[in-house]
Amino acid sequence: MVHISDGVPLDPWLIMGGWAVTAIILTYALSKMKTEDVPRLSVITAAVFVASLIRIPLGISCAHFILNGFAGVMLGILSFPCIFVALVLQCYLFGHGGATMIGINTVNMGVPALIAYIIFKTGTGYDIRPETKKRASLFGAIAGGFGVVLALLLLAAELVTIGDVFLETTIVVVGAHILIIPIEAIFTGVLVGFIATVEPEMFGKK
Amino acid sequence: MISEIDRYAGISSPIHRWDPRFRVVSILALIFSVIFLYNLELVTIGMIFAIILVYISKIPFSFVLSRMKLVFIFVLPFFVIIPFTFMSADTGVEIASFGGITLSYRGTESVEFAAMIVLKALTAVMLIFPMIGTSRMDITIKALEGLHLPNKLVQMFAFTYRYIFVLDDEFTRMDRSLASRGFRKRGNLYTLTTISKAIAMLFVKSYERADRVFYAMRSKGYSGTVATLHEFHARRQDWVNTAVVVGFALLLQVAATSDTFSATRGF
Repeated sequence: MVHISDGVPLDPWLIMGGWAVTAIILTYALSKMKTEDVPRLSVITAAVFVASLIRIPLGISCAHFILNGFAGVMLGILSFPCIFVALVLQCYLFGHGGATMIGINTVNMGVPALIAYIIFKTGTGYDIRPETKKRASLFGAIAGGFGVVLALLLLAAELVTIGDVFLETTIVVVGAHILIIPIEAIFTGVLVGFIATVEPEMFGKK
Repeated sequence: MISEIDRYAGISSPIHRWDPRFRVVSILALIFSVIFLYNLELVTIGMIFAIILVYISKIPFSFVLSRMKLVFIFVLPFFVIIPFTFMSADTGVEIASFGGITLSYRGTESVEFAAMIVLKALTAVMLIFPMIGTSRMDITIKALEGLHLPNKLVQMFAFTYRYIFVLDDEFTRMDRSLASRGFRKRGNLYTLTTISKAIAMLFVKSYERADRVFYAMRSKGYSGTVATLHEFHARRQDWVNTAVVVGFALLLQVAATSDTFSATRGF
């Protein structure tokens, strides 16, 4: 996941604004959620969490998945609470991200997830059978790629508000993640195609 | 491999005895207070307070440091990125220039600025140990319920926390079976599609498991509330601890508004 860590001197209003937006979308998403959904959502959250720890060698460095586009495709609006829970646990299990930045980080990853969901929905209409696998893969890839692009754009927009001092940091962070965009797109495409063949009903329950 | 934060939940210390509901809220307030400071001296004072809290909680520093390694790797580049710049040559001292690109140094102020960012990040992470690491995770989750967080969210925390370890083991097994069939991770498309399919299989398997587990829990009477034998009783000592920690958090903010400490939020 692309995190802003604690200590990055964002404007306090931006940090609190992130919390406010997160609280609003979270409340809405939770009202759409049934108690029966909890285990299913939790297991997908945990899988996203575990998958985002896997490192893929890439030249001299390593890349890891962000998977917010995939969460959006699989879960729709309910991906928002999933990303929130994943970030909270990541913060407490790894010290990644940072306790005060969870609000803004959830927005950075959750809003692109919702947009990825809209892209996938307009592209496939959630008519997913093994026969429509190719179409699902294609739009899965587009949604997955867009998820990362939008997350990076949001992140960059927030970091440059700090001022001149963070210009280089922004460039380094965004540059380091550019290669993730195609990787994530291919990954999401393959994943969606695989699930469309093996267990298409996973898309049905949202 | 993921290690559990509550490894030292079994020992006894004043922080362990502190009611988790009060503890989580107070220390979270302190974290926010430190993050909203923009003065190096005050942040250092916050850091010292955090170290004292970890000391009181008797969580070994070796454990804390080993888990903070990742944060170090993440924040240390700030010492290089912030003081040196390629962009605004007019604000700094020129060091070297090669073919139109000028490397310049922004001055000691910028080193202090970087130090502030690093110290804040480390303080925030360090405070998580007395906050969460001093009681078992199920009790912490019950405390979240006691704080009236939305029930579905609390349940998601509990389930996800459990499943992370289950799925981590599961993926390790998959990784091993891939390796035993001669698969090596390389930077090519084949690696990527293979890993993608392995993760997809992980999703499909765990998805089916989730439903089975949920029905089994339902049939044993699970209703969505966290059931542990542990009951919370707020004693006077809990209020005293809360007053000390929240008081300190407020004091830092009061000190920050006074003129004695200057604020640096970029320059």
